Amino acid sequence: MGSNGELKYEISQNAYIKLVLHSLRHKTAAVNGVLVGRISPKDDGVVEISDSVPLFHSNLALLPPLEISLIMIEEHYVAQGLSIVGYFHANERFDDVELCGVAKNIGDHISRYFPQAPILLLNNKKLEALSKGKERSPVMQLCVKDASKNWRVVGADGGSKLLLKEPSANVVLSDYISSEKWKDVTDVDDHLDDVTKDWLNPGLFN
Amino acid sequence: MVTKTEEIQLNQLENQVENGGGGVWEYLCLVRKLKVRRSEIVLKHGLSILNDSGKRSALGPDEWTLYEQVAIAAMDCQSLGVAQVLKKKFPESKRVGKLEALLLEAKGMWEEAEKAYTSLLEDNPLDQVIHKRKVAMAKAQGKSSLAIEHLNKYLEVFMADHDAWRELAEIYVSLQMYKQAAFCYEELILTQPTLPLYHLAYADVLYTIGGLENLIAARKYYAATIDLTGGKSTRALLGICLCGSAIAQISKGRNKEDKDMAAPELQSLAATALEREYKQKAPAKLNLLTSALRNLKIA
Repeated sequence: MGSNGELKYEISQNAYIKLVLHSLRHKTAAVNGVLVGRISPKDDGVVEISDSVPLFHSNLALLPPLEISLIMIEEHYVAQGLSIVGYFHANERFDDVELCGVAKNIGDHISRYFPQAPILLLNNKKLEALSKGKERSPVMQLCVKDASKNWRVVGADGGSKLLLKEPSANVVLSDYISSEKWKDVTDVDDHLDDVTKDWLNPGLFN
Repeated sequence: MVTKTEEIQLNQLENQVENGGGGVWEYLCLVRKLKVRRSEIVLKHGLSILNDSGKRSALGPDEWTLYEQVAIAAMDCQSLGVAQVLKKKFPESKRVGKLEALLLEAKGMWEEAEKAYTSLLEDNPLDQVIHKRKVAMAKAQGKSSLAIEHLNKYLEVFMADHDAWRELAEIYVSLQMYKQAAFCYEELILTQPTLPLYHLAYADVLYTIGGLENLIAARKYYAATIDLTGGKSTRALLGICLCGSAIAQISKGRNKEDKDMAAPELQSLAATALEREYKQKAPAKLNLLTSALRNLKIA
Protein backbone atom coordinates (compact mmCIF):
# COMPACT_ATOMS: atom_id res chain seq x y z
CA MET A 1 0.00 0.00 0.00
CA GLY A 2 1.38 3.39 -0.94
CA SER A 3 2.04 6.29 1.42
CA ASN A 4 -0.64 8.83 2.21
CA GLY A 5 0.36 10.87 -0.81
CA GLU A 6 -0.92 8.16 -3.13
CA LEU A 7 -4.31 7.81 -1.54
CA LYS A 8 -7.30 9.11 -3.43
CA TYR A 9 -10.22 10.80 -1.71
CA GLU A 10 -13.63 10.60 -3.31
CA ILE A 11 -16.22 12.97 -1.90
CA SER A 12 -19.93 12.50 -2.48
CA GLN A 13 -22.10 15.33 -3.73
CA ASN A 14 -24.10 15.68 -0.54
CA ALA A 15 -21.04 15.73 1.72
CA TYR A 16 -19.34 18.27 -0.53
CA ILE A 17 -22.27 20.62 -1.03
CA LYS A 18 -23.29 20.60 2.63
CA LEU A 19 -19.87 21.89 3.71
CA VAL A 20 -19.71 24.63 1.07
CA LEU A 21 -23.25 25.79 1.82
CA HIS A 22 -22.37 25.91 5.52
CA SER A 23 -19.44 28.25 4.83
CA LEU A 24 -21.69 30.42 2.70
CA ARG A 25 -24.23 30.68 5.47
CA HIS A 26 -21.57 32.15 7.76
CA LYS A 27 -19.62 34.25 5.30
CA THR A 28 -17.98 36.46 7.87
CA ALA A 29 -16.70 33.68 10.13
CA ALA A 30 -14.39 30.71 10.06
CA VAL A 31 -16.35 27.44 9.99
CA ASN A 32 -15.48 23.79 10.24
CA GLY A 33 -16.94 20.34 9.87
CA VAL A 34 -16.07 16.65 9.87
CA LEU A 35 -15.96 14.21 6.98
CA VAL A 36 -17.67 10.87 7.40
CA GLY A 37 -17.01 7.74 5.42
CA ARG A 38 -14.78 4.69 5.14
CA ILE A 39 -12.01 3.06 3.12
CA SER A 40 -13.56 1.85 -0.11
CA PRO A 41 -14.39 -1.83 0.14
CA LYS A 42 -13.47 -2.15 -3.53
CA ASP A 43 -10.07 -0.44 -3.46
CA ASP A 44 -8.13 0.25 -0.30
CA GLY A 45 -6.29 3.09 -2.01
CA VAL A 46 -9.48 5.13 -2.02
CA VAL A 47 -11.18 6.84 0.91
CA GLU A 48 -14.91 7.32 0.32
CA ILE A 49 -16.27 10.45 1.95
CA SER A 50 -19.98 9.76 1.86
CA ASP A 51 -21.27 12.36 4.28
CA SER A 52 -20.24 15.38 6.33
CA VAL A 53 -21.40 17.18 9.45
CA PRO A 54 -21.00 20.97 9.73
CA LEU A 55 -19.71 21.74 13.22
CA PHE A 56 -19.22 25.36 14.31
CA HIS A 57 -19.26 28.94 13.15
CA SER A 58 -17.86 30.55 16.30
CA ASN A 59 -15.07 29.80 18.78
CA LEU A 60 -13.79 26.85 16.79
CA ALA A 61 -10.84 26.44 19.13
CA LEU A 62 -12.79 25.52 22.26
CA LEU A 63 -12.70 21.89 23.38
CA PRO A 64 -15.97 21.11 25.12
CA PRO A 65 -18.33 21.57 22.15
CA LEU A 66 -15.85 19.76 19.89
CA GLU A 67 -15.49 16.78 22.22
CA ILE A 68 -19.21 16.28 22.63
CA SER A 69 -19.86 16.57 18.88
CA LEU A 70 -17.20 14.03 17.96
CA ILE A 71 -18.68 11.56 20.45
CA MET A 72 -22.23 12.00 19.17
CA ILE A 73 -21.25 11.95 15.50
CA GLU A 74 -19.17 8.78 15.82
CA GLU A 75 -21.99 7.18 17.79
CA HIS A 76 -24.49 7.97 15.05
CA TYR A 77 -22.47 6.79 12.08
CA VAL A 78 -20.95 3.65 13.58
CA ALA A 79 -24.30 1.98 13.12
CA GLN A 80 -23.91 2.46 9.37
CA GLY A 81 -20.40 1.09 9.31
CA LEU A 82 -18.98 4.58 8.84
CA SER A 83 -16.68 6.75 10.94
CA ILE A 84 -15.12 10.20 11.03
CA VAL A 85 -12.49 10.15 8.31
CA GLY A 86 -11.37 13.76 8.00
CA TYR A 87 -11.82 17.44 8.74
CA PHE A 88 -13.05 20.47 6.80
CA HIS A 89 -12.09 24.06 7.52
CA ALA A 90 -12.96 27.38 5.94
CA ASN A 91 -10.90 30.40 6.99
CA GLU A 92 -12.46 33.69 8.00
CA ARG A 93 -10.69 35.75 5.36
CA PHE A 94 -11.08 35.39 1.60
CA ASP A 95 -7.44 35.11 0.65
CA ASP A 96 -6.22 33.15 3.66
CA VAL A 97 -4.91 29.82 2.39
CA GLU A 98 -2.99 28.84 5.50
CA LEU A 99 -3.90 25.93 7.72
CA CYS A 100 -4.22 27.43 11.18
CA GLY A 101 -3.22 25.76 14.44
CA VAL A 102 -6.78 24.77 15.28
CA ALA A 103 -7.27 22.97 11.97
CA LYS A 104 -3.99 21.11 12.38
CA ASN A 105 -4.80 20.11 15.96
CA ILE A 106 -8.21 18.78 15.07
CA GLY A 107 -6.76 17.06 12.02
CA ASP A 108 -4.12 15.45 14.23
CA HIS A 109 -6.75 14.25 16.66
CA ILE A 110 -8.88 12.69 13.93
CA SER A 111 -5.90 11.03 12.29
CA ARG A 112 -5.13 9.28 15.56
CA TYR A 113 -8.28 7.25 14.96
CA PHE A 114 -8.18 7.24 11.16
CA PRO A 115 -4.58 7.61 9.99
CA GLN A 116 -5.48 8.46 6.39
CA ALA A 117 -7.61 11.44 7.47
CA PRO A 118 -7.23 14.50 5.22
CA ILE A 119 -7.96 18.14 5.92
CA LEU A 120 -10.02 19.87 3.26
CA LEU A 121 -9.60 23.64 3.16
CA LEU A 122 -12.15 25.80 1.35
CA ASN A 123 -10.63 27.61 -1.61
CA ASN A 124 -12.46 30.93 -1.91
CA LYS A 125 -11.02 31.89 -5.28
CA LYS A 126 -12.30 28.65 -6.81
CA LEU A 127 -15.65 29.14 -5.11
CA GLU A 128 -15.91 32.57 -6.70
CA ALA A 129 -15.00 31.14 -10.11
CA LEU A 130 -17.85 28.69 -9.70
CA SER A 131 -20.45 31.38 -10.27
CA LYS A 132 -18.82 32.13 -13.61
CA GLY A 133 -19.20 28.50 -14.59
CA LYS A 134 -15.47 28.04 -14.95
CA GLU A 135 -14.78 25.49 -12.24
CA ARG A 136 -14.72 21.72 -12.71
CA SER A 137 -12.65 20.56 -9.77
CA PRO A 138 -13.75 20.67 -6.13
CA VAL A 139 -13.53 24.13 -4.56
CA MET A 140 -11.39 22.71 -1.78
CA GLN A 141 -7.71 22.19 -1.18
CA LEU A 142 -6.59 18.74 -0.06
CA CYS A 143 -4.05 18.56 2.78
CA VAL A 144 -2.48 15.33 4.04
CA LYS A 145 0.09 14.40 6.64
CA ASP A 146 3.49 13.64 5.23
CA ALA A 147 6.06 11.19 6.56
CA SER A 148 7.33 13.69 9.14
CA LYS A 149 3.76 14.15 10.43
CA ASN A 150 3.39 17.68 9.05
CA TRP A 151 0.32 18.80 7.16
CA ARG A 152 0.96 19.86 3.60
CA VAL A 153 -1.17 20.89 0.67
CA VAL A 154 -1.33 18.22 -2.00
CA GLY A 155 -0.17 19.62 -5.33
CA ALA A 156 -1.38 22.80 -6.97
CA ASP A 157 -3.93 20.74 -8.79
CA GLY A 158 -4.72 18.37 -5.95
CA GLY A 159 -7.73 17.68 -8.13
CA SER A 160 -6.24 14.38 -9.11
CA LYS A 161 -6.23 13.13 -5.52
CA LEU A 162 -9.47 14.75 -4.38
CA LEU A 163 -12.31 13.72 -6.65
CA LEU A 164 -15.94 14.61 -6.86
CA LYS A 165 -17.84 11.34 -6.94
CA GLU A 166 -20.62 12.85 -9.06
CA PRO A 167 -19.12 14.96 -11.86
CA SER A 168 -22.14 17.26 -11.86
CA ALA A 169 -21.64 18.23 -8.21
CA ASN A 170 -20.41 21.75 -9.05
CA VAL A 171 -23.41 22.37 -11.28
CA VAL A 172 -25.77 21.32 -8.53
CA LEU A 173 -23.81 23.43 -6.04
CA SER A 174 -24.11 26.52 -8.27
CA ASP A 175 -27.85 25.98 -8.48
CA TYR A 176 -28.16 25.76 -4.73
CA ILE A 177 -26.10 28.89 -4.29
CA SER A 178 -28.39 30.83 -6.63
CA SER A 179 -31.43 29.64 -4.74
CA GLU A 180 -29.76 30.62 -1.43
CA LYS A 181 -30.04 27.06 -0.12
CA TRP A 182 -27.35 27.86 2.41
CA LYS A 183 -30.00 29.38 4.60
CA ASP A 184 -31.25 25.87 5.41
CA VAL A 185 -28.01 24.35 6.68
CA THR A 186 -27.86 23.61 10.42
CA ASP A 187 -24.65 22.89 12.31
CA VAL A 188 -23.77 21.53 15.75
CA ASP A 189 -23.42 25.10 17.05
CA ASP A 190 -27.09 25.69 16.16
CA HIS A 191 -28.04 22.38 17.79
CA LEU A 192 -26.28 23.24 21.04
CA ASP A 193 -28.19 26.52 21.16
CA ASP A 194 -31.48 24.80 20.35
CA VAL A 195 -31.63 21.02 20.37
CA THR A 196 -34.58 20.95 17.99
CA LYS A 197 -32.15 21.91 15.21
CA ASP A 198 -30.71 18.78 13.64
CA TRP A 199 -27.04 18.74 12.59
CA LEU A 200 -27.81 15.78 10.38
CA ASN A 201 -29.71 18.15 8.09
CA PRO A 202 -32.23 15.53 6.99
CA GLY A 203 -34.33 16.73 4.10
CA LEU A 204 -31.78 19.37 3.07
CA PHE A 205 -31.45 17.89 -0.38
CA ASN A 206 -35.00 16.72 -0.92
CA MET B 1 -25.43 42.39 22.47
CA VAL B 2 -29.01 41.66 21.76
CA THR B 3 -31.61 40.18 24.08
CA LYS B 4 -33.79 37.26 23.07
CA THR B 5 -36.95 39.41 22.82
CA GLU B 6 -35.11 41.91 20.68
CA GLU B 7 -33.87 39.11 18.46
CA ILE B 8 -37.37 37.70 18.03
CA GLN B 9 -38.73 41.15 17.20
CA LEU B 10 -35.94 41.68 14.70
CA ASN B 11 -36.50 38.34 13.02
CA GLN B 12 -40.26 38.94 12.82
CA LEU B 13 -39.74 42.32 11.16
CA GLU B 14 -37.14 40.81 8.88
CA ASN B 15 -39.54 38.10 7.74
CA GLN B 16 -42.25 40.68 7.18
CA VAL B 17 -39.97 42.89 5.15
CA GLU B 18 -38.55 40.06 3.08
CA ASN B 19 -42.01 38.81 2.21
CA GLY B 20 -43.25 42.17 1.00
CA GLY B 21 -45.28 42.95 4.09
CA GLY B 22 -43.98 46.49 4.58
CA GLY B 23 -42.49 47.84 7.81
CA VAL B 24 -39.15 48.51 6.14
CA TRP B 25 -38.47 51.76 7.96
CA GLU B 26 -39.13 50.17 11.38
CA TYR B 27 -36.85 47.29 10.48
CA LEU B 28 -34.05 49.63 9.44
CA CYS B 29 -34.43 51.67 12.63
CA LEU B 30 -34.30 48.53 14.76
CA VAL B 31 -31.18 47.29 12.98
CA ARG B 32 -29.59 50.67 13.60
CA LYS B 33 -30.58 50.71 17.25
CA LEU B 34 -29.38 47.16 17.98
CA LYS B 35 -26.26 47.60 15.86
CA VAL B 36 -26.64 44.18 14.27
CA ARG B 37 -25.04 43.17 11.02
CA ARG B 38 -27.73 42.40 8.43
CA SER B 39 -26.12 44.16 5.52
CA GLU B 40 -27.65 42.33 2.58
CA ILE B 41 -31.20 42.93 3.71
CA VAL B 42 -30.50 46.53 4.76
CA LEU B 43 -28.96 47.21 1.38
CA LYS B 44 -31.80 45.69 -0.60
CA HIS B 45 -34.64 47.41 1.21
CA GLY B 46 -32.83 50.62 2.07
CA LEU B 47 -32.06 51.15 -1.59
CA SER B 48 -35.66 50.55 -2.54
CA ILE B 49 -36.68 53.47 -0.32
CA LEU B 50 -33.86 55.72 -1.50
CA ASN B 51 -34.53 55.08 -5.15
CA ASP B 52 -38.16 56.05 -4.81
CA SER B 53 -38.29 59.86 -4.55
CA GLY B 54 -41.73 59.82 -2.98
CA LYS B 55 -40.69 57.58 -0.13
CA ARG B 56 -37.44 59.45 0.23
CA SER B 57 -38.98 62.87 0.77
CA ALA B 58 -41.39 61.33 3.26
CA LEU B 59 -38.38 60.66 5.48
CA GLY B 60 -37.40 64.31 5.91
CA PRO B 61 -34.08 64.85 7.73
CA ASP B 62 -33.89 61.12 8.46
CA GLU B 63 -33.03 60.70 4.80
CA TRP B 64 -29.35 61.32 5.52
CA THR B 65 -29.27 58.78 8.34
CA LEU B 66 -30.67 56.25 5.93
CA TYR B 67 -28.05 57.15 3.32
CA GLU B 68 -25.37 56.54 5.92
CA GLN B 69 -26.85 53.21 6.99
CA VAL B 70 -27.24 51.98 3.42
CA ALA B 71 -23.75 53.18 2.45
CA ILE B 72 -22.19 51.15 5.26
CA ALA B 73 -24.31 48.13 4.36
CA ALA B 74 -23.28 48.50 0.72
CA MET B 75 -19.62 48.54 1.69
CA ASP B 76 -20.11 45.44 3.82
CA CYS B 77 -21.63 43.66 0.83
CA GLN B 78 -18.86 44.93 -1.44
CA SER B 79 -21.39 46.89 -3.56
CA LEU B 80 -18.83 49.65 -3.86
CA GLY B 81 -20.51 51.24 -6.87
CA VAL B 82 -23.60 51.87 -4.77
CA ALA B 83 -21.55 53.18 -1.85
CA GLN B 84 -19.77 55.70 -4.05
CA VAL B 85 -22.93 57.07 -5.61
CA LEU B 86 -24.30 57.66 -2.16
CA LYS B 87 -21.07 59.27 -1.00
CA LYS B 88 -21.43 61.96 -3.68
CA LYS B 89 -24.71 63.10 -2.22
CA PHE B 90 -23.32 63.92 1.20
CA PRO B 91 -22.47 67.41 2.41
CA GLU B 92 -19.02 68.09 3.90
CA SER B 93 -18.64 66.87 7.47
CA LYS B 94 -16.62 64.69 9.84
CA ARG B 95 -19.21 61.96 9.67
CA VAL B 96 -18.72 61.90 5.92
CA GLY B 97 -14.97 61.76 6.43
CA LYS B 98 -15.50 58.55 8.38
CA LEU B 99 -17.54 57.10 5.54
CA GLU B 100 -14.89 58.03 3.02
CA ALA B 101 -12.25 56.28 5.08
CA LEU B 102 -14.60 53.29 5.40
CA LEU B 103 -14.89 53.22 1.61
CA LEU B 104 -11.12 53.12 1.25
CA GLU B 105 -11.07 50.26 3.72
CA ALA B 106 -13.80 48.38 1.81
CA LYS B 107 -11.76 48.73 -1.37
CA GLY B 108 -8.79 47.17 0.38
CA MET B 109 -6.71 50.36 0.07
CA TRP B 110 -5.19 49.80 3.49
CA GLU B 111 -2.52 52.49 3.56
CA GLU B 112 -4.84 55.24 2.41
CA ALA B 113 -7.49 54.13 4.88
CA GLU B 114 -4.90 54.01 7.66
CA LYS B 115 -3.85 57.60 6.84
CA ALA B 116 -7.47 58.74 6.74
CA TYR B 117 -8.25 57.19 10.12
CA THR B 118 -5.10 58.55 11.71
CA SER B 119 -5.93 62.09 10.64
CA LEU B 120 -9.51 61.68 11.83
CA LEU B 121 -8.14 60.49 15.16
CA GLU B 122 -5.95 63.57 15.49
CA ASP B 123 -9.10 65.66 15.56
CA ASN B 124 -11.10 63.24 17.68
CA PRO B 125 -8.74 61.10 19.75
CA LEU B 126 -11.66 59.72 21.70
CA ASP B 127 -13.70 58.46 18.78
CA GLN B 128 -14.42 54.84 19.64
CA VAL B 129 -15.68 53.88 16.18
CA ILE B 130 -12.47 54.94 14.48
CA HIS B 131 -10.32 53.08 16.98
CA LYS B 132 -12.35 50.00 16.27
CA ARG B 133 -11.96 50.45 12.50
CA LYS B 134 -8.21 50.25 13.01
CA VAL B 135 -8.63 46.94 14.81
CA ALA B 136 -10.96 45.71 12.08
CA MET B 137 -8.43 46.66 9.40
CA ALA B 138 -5.67 44.77 11.17
CA LYS B 139 -7.95 41.75 11.42
CA ALA B 140 -8.94 41.98 7.77
CA GLN B 141 -5.31 41.96 6.71
CA GLY B 142 -4.63 38.93 8.88
CA LYS B 143 -2.35 40.91 11.19
CA SER B 144 -3.59 39.33 14.40
CA SER B 145 -0.85 40.60 16.71
CA LEU B 146 -1.43 44.13 15.46
CA ALA B 147 -5.17 43.74 16.03
CA ILE B 148 -4.49 42.52 19.57
CA GLU B 149 -2.12 45.42 20.21
CA HIS B 150 -4.62 48.01 19.01
CA LEU B 151 -7.44 46.40 20.94
CA ASN B 152 -5.41 46.28 24.15
CA LYS B 153 -4.53 49.96 23.80
CA TYR B 154 -8.18 50.74 23.17
CA LEU B 155 -9.24 48.86 26.28
CA GLU B 156 -6.74 50.75 28.43
CA VAL B 157 -8.81 53.84 27.69
CA PHE B 158 -12.28 52.39 27.22
CA MET B 159 -12.16 49.57 29.74
CA ALA B 160 -15.92 49.46 30.12
CA ASP B 161 -16.50 48.41 26.52
CA HIS B 162 -17.78 44.87 26.97
CA ASP B 163 -18.05 44.12 23.28
CA ALA B 164 -14.40 45.00 22.87
CA TRP B 165 -13.39 42.63 25.67
CA ARG B 166 -15.43 39.90 23.99
CA GLU B 167 -13.85 40.60 20.64
CA LEU B 168 -10.40 40.41 22.21
CA ALA B 169 -11.27 37.15 23.94
CA GLU B 170 -12.49 35.64 20.68
CA ILE B 171 -9.35 36.71 18.84
CA TYR B 172 -7.23 35.11 21.57
CA VAL B 173 -9.26 31.90 21.36
CA SER B 174 -8.88 31.73 17.61
CA LEU B 175 -5.11 32.00 18.08
CA GLN B 176 -5.27 29.35 20.83
CA MET B 177 -3.98 31.88 23.40
CA TYR B 178 -6.36 30.51 26.01
CA LYS B 179 -4.82 32.04 29.13
CA GLN B 180 -5.16 35.52 27.69
CA ALA B 181 -8.73 34.76 26.63
CA ALA B 182 -9.44 33.61 30.19
CA PHE B 183 -8.22 36.97 31.50
CA CYS B 184 -10.69 38.79 29.23
CA TYR B 185 -13.60 36.69 30.42
CA GLU B 186 -12.53 37.28 34.02
CA GLU B 187 -12.80 41.03 33.40
CA LEU B 188 -16.24 40.55 31.87
CA ILE B 189 -17.50 38.39 34.73
CA LEU B 190 -16.25 40.97 37.25
CA THR B 191 -18.16 43.79 35.58
CA GLN B 192 -21.28 41.85 34.55
CA PRO B 193 -21.57 38.88 36.93
CA THR B 194 -25.17 38.13 36.07
CA LEU B 195 -24.61 37.40 32.38
CA PRO B 196 -24.46 33.62 31.92
CA LEU B 197 -22.73 34.01 28.54
CA TYR B 198 -19.46 35.03 30.16
CA HIS B 199 -19.51 32.26 32.77
CA LEU B 200 -20.10 29.73 30.02
CA ALA B 201 -17.35 31.06 27.79
CA TYR B 202 -14.94 31.19 30.72
CA ALA B 203 -15.76 27.61 31.64
CA ASP B 204 -15.17 26.49 28.05
CA VAL B 205 -11.77 28.21 28.02
CA LEU B 206 -10.75 26.73 31.39
CA TYR B 207 -11.71 23.25 30.23
CA THR B 208 -9.69 23.76 27.06
CA ILE B 209 -6.59 24.80 29.02
CA GLY B 210 -7.02 21.64 31.10
CA GLY B 211 -5.45 20.38 34.30
CA LEU B 212 -7.26 19.36 37.46
CA GLU B 213 -7.63 22.81 39.00
CA ASN B 214 -8.95 24.33 35.82
CA LEU B 215 -11.42 21.49 35.33
CA ILE B 216 -12.75 21.91 38.83
CA ALA B 217 -13.07 25.66 38.28
CA ALA B 218 -14.71 25.09 34.89
CA ARG B 219 -17.30 22.90 36.52
CA LYS B 220 -18.09 25.68 39.00
CA TYR B 221 -18.65 28.13 36.16
CA TYR B 222 -20.81 25.68 34.25
CA ALA B 223 -22.83 25.32 37.45
CA ALA B 224 -23.08 29.11 37.71
CA THR B 225 -24.34 29.24 34.12
CA ILE B 226 -26.99 26.65 34.90
CA ASP B 227 -27.99 28.68 37.91
CA LEU B 228 -28.20 31.92 35.94
CA THR B 229 -30.17 30.35 33.08
CA GLY B 230 -32.55 28.36 35.24
CA GLY B 231 -31.18 25.09 33.92
CA LYS B 232 -31.80 25.91 30.28
CA SER B 233 -28.25 25.94 29.01
CA THR B 234 -27.59 22.71 27.10
CA ARG B 235 -23.96 23.69 26.68
CA ALA B 236 -23.48 24.11 30.42
CA LEU B 237 -25.19 20.81 31.23
CA LEU B 238 -22.95 19.04 28.75
CA GLY B 239 -20.00 20.91 30.21
CA ILE B 240 -20.71 19.48 33.65
CA CYS B 241 -20.72 15.96 32.24
CA LEU B 242 -17.50 16.54 30.34
CA CYS B 243 -15.81 17.99 33.43
CA GLY B 244 -16.95 15.11 35.61
CA SER B 245 -15.54 12.62 33.19
CA ALA B 246 -12.24 14.44 32.75
CA ILE B 247 -11.79 14.97 36.49
CA ALA B 248 -12.52 11.32 37.19
CA GLN B 249 -9.91 10.32 34.65
CA ILE B 250 -7.24 12.53 36.15
CA SER B 251 -8.00 11.47 39.72
CA LYS B 252 -7.84 7.76 38.93
CA GLY B 253 -5.39 6.14 41.29
CA ARG B 254 -5.08 9.28 43.38
CA ASN B 255 -6.08 9.51 47.01
CA LYS B 256 -9.65 9.68 48.23
CA GLU B 257 -9.99 13.49 48.52
CA ASP B 258 -9.28 13.85 44.87
CA LYS B 259 -11.68 11.06 44.03
CA ASP B 260 -14.43 13.02 45.76
CA MET B 261 -13.83 15.73 43.24
CA ALA B 262 -15.65 13.57 40.74
CA ALA B 263 -18.95 14.73 42.32
CA PRO B 264 -21.05 12.01 40.71
CA GLU B 265 -24.34 13.48 41.98
CA LEU B 266 -23.79 16.67 40.03
CA GLN B 267 -23.02 14.69 36.93
CA SER B 268 -26.11 12.51 37.18
CA LEU B 269 -28.29 15.55 37.82
CA ALA B 270 -26.95 17.17 34.67
CA ALA B 271 -27.39 13.93 32.73
CA THR B 272 -31.01 13.64 33.86
CA ALA B 273 -31.74 17.23 32.90
CA LEU B 274 -30.22 16.66 29.47
CA GLU B 275 -32.17 13.47 28.91
CA ARG B 276 -35.38 15.24 29.85
CA GLU B 277 -34.65 18.06 27.44
CA TYR B 278 -33.85 15.75 24.55
CA LYS B 279 -36.86 13.56 25.23
CA GLN B 280 -39.05 16.62 25.01
CA LYS B 281 -37.49 18.50 22.15
CA ALA B 282 -35.27 16.16 20.12
CA PRO B 283 -36.46 12.61 20.76
CA ALA B 284 -34.71 11.35 17.63
CA LYS B 285 -31.41 12.25 19.20
CA LEU B 286 -32.13 10.84 22.65
CA ASN B 287 -30.36 7.54 21.99
CA LEU B 288 -27.27 9.34 20.77
CA LEU B 289 -27.24 11.50 23.86
CA THR B 290 -27.65 8.53 26.21
CA SER B 291 -24.80 6.59 24.65
CA ALA B 292 -22.64 9.72 24.57
CA LEU B 293 -23.24 10.21 28.31
CA ARG B 294 -22.52 6.54 28.95
CA ASN B 295 -19.32 6.96 26.95
CA LEU B 296 -18.30 9.86 29.19
CA LYS B 297 -18.94 7.98 32.42
CA ILE B 298 -16.79 5.08 31.29
CA ALA B 299 -14.12 7.32 29.77
